[in-house]
Amino acid sequence: MSIVLYDNELDDGCYKVRLMLAALHLEHTRVPVGTGPLTPQLRRLNPRGTLPILADNDLILHGGEAIAAFLARRYDPLDRWFPADDPVLFGQTMIWLSFGAEALRSASVARRQAMFEVEAPSARIIAAARTSFRVMEDHMTARRLTGGRWFVGERPTVADIVLFPAFALSGDAGIEHDAYPALRHWARRFRTIPGFRTMPGIPDYY
Amino acid sequence: MTALPPSAWYPVALAADIDPGTANGTRLFDREIVVWRDSASVPHVWEDRCPHRGMRLSLGFVRGDHLACLYHGWQYDADGQCRLIPAHPQMSPPDTIRVPPLASVERLGMLWAHTGVESSGGPPLEERPVRPVRSIAVDCPPEAALSRLGYFSGPTGDDGGSGDWTVAAPAPSLVVVGSGDHAILIGIQPLSTRQCVLHAVIAGPGGDGLRISHWLEEFRLAVEAEAVQ
Repeated sequence: MSIVLYDNELDDGCYKVRLMLAALHLEHTRVPVGTGPLTPQLRRLNPRGTLPILADNDLILHGGEAIAAFLARRYDPLDRWFPADDPVLFGQTMIWLSFGAEALRSASVARRQAMFEVEAPSARIIAAARTSFRVMEDHMTARRLTGGRWFVGERPTVADIVLFPAFALSGDAGIEHDAYPALRHWARRFRTIPGFRTMPGIPDYY
Repeated sequence: MTALPPSAWYPVALAADIDPGTANGTRLFDREIVVWRDSASVPHVWEDRCPHRGMRLSLGFVRGDHLACLYHGWQYDADGQCRLIPAHPQMSPPDTIRVPPLASVERLGMLWAHTGVESSGGPPLEERPVRPVRSIAVDCPPEAALSRLGYFSGPTGDDGGSGDWTVAAPAPSLVVVGSGDHAILIGIQPLSTRQCVLHAVIAGPGGDGLRISHWLEEFRLAVEAEAVQ
């Protein structure tokens, strides 16, 4: 078995994969990739020109959600991280996987602009990111009021994994956590998942 | 719409949302504050600035009954007095290194802080046991939320079918929406002139938390749409 992650330490999409690998206790090699356009070699692995990219022997995958879902399906024999055999849990998990890739893109773009570009992120992209966090907050508020602790089901899943980075890193784009008490509780709980690791922008202390 | 008094008691969090040993940053009229509980669960509300380099203390961490700054680890005791400077562990920090505390009290299932220099009395008392619903941030002036609550119909189906809701405002930042065997207590926290947080609890045996939470989301939608116009 040989898993290789083409990884940028500051990229929130790569962090999704690092969290999934850690939660599954999977041995892997990380190839550091700098910020900026990908080399032609890496572009051949992912024509979209984005990270993360994962190689599992001959199989090449890209996109944080796809990679995390794949790892959960292949390497979790108990199917806890991606409960795909139960159609209800599967459907609910899919909602948040696509949410992570689509709705939270605004948060990802806002953060990248705030960190690496001269111009601050536009009010519009910040508003879109806040709207997405509000959807998550309302969901986790309803979950709390009905005894739920995670986005889907009774235990952490790949849904929590792909949603955590954007929220935990929102301060990089100037979006504070004070408007999201239910997400704050969830994020604190997330940090207790065995194998949890931080990245730059997320404090070790809490 | 009458403006909220600049010097008064305001809610800053639901009591259940600040766990012992944790700190959270928020605002009152654009003033940054940190709300934290020590390990004995005593709540504290302070200016959210480390006197050393101005770092937000809400990003720091609680150690026993001290709040420590994330930046250089300076530690402050329950009165806001600096007690430890890790770079100079033998030194006793001078009294002048102090974080100004706000008067604070835990009541109605919420944590309250007073924005003035002189605090008196406190938020109203409630005899019935309360249980938390949620906090909800709303992008509208706090005064607009207050006045809109006065004529926003209570949550459908949460009144035993009577449709009778009474609305009262026993304090400048508190609205009580009551029906039958329970009341929804809503504390209004002014973050700024354009944003507020509503902290909602249920007093009395009745009331469905999830239904009230959805009702608050409908309220947010209505009042934000009006604020944009």
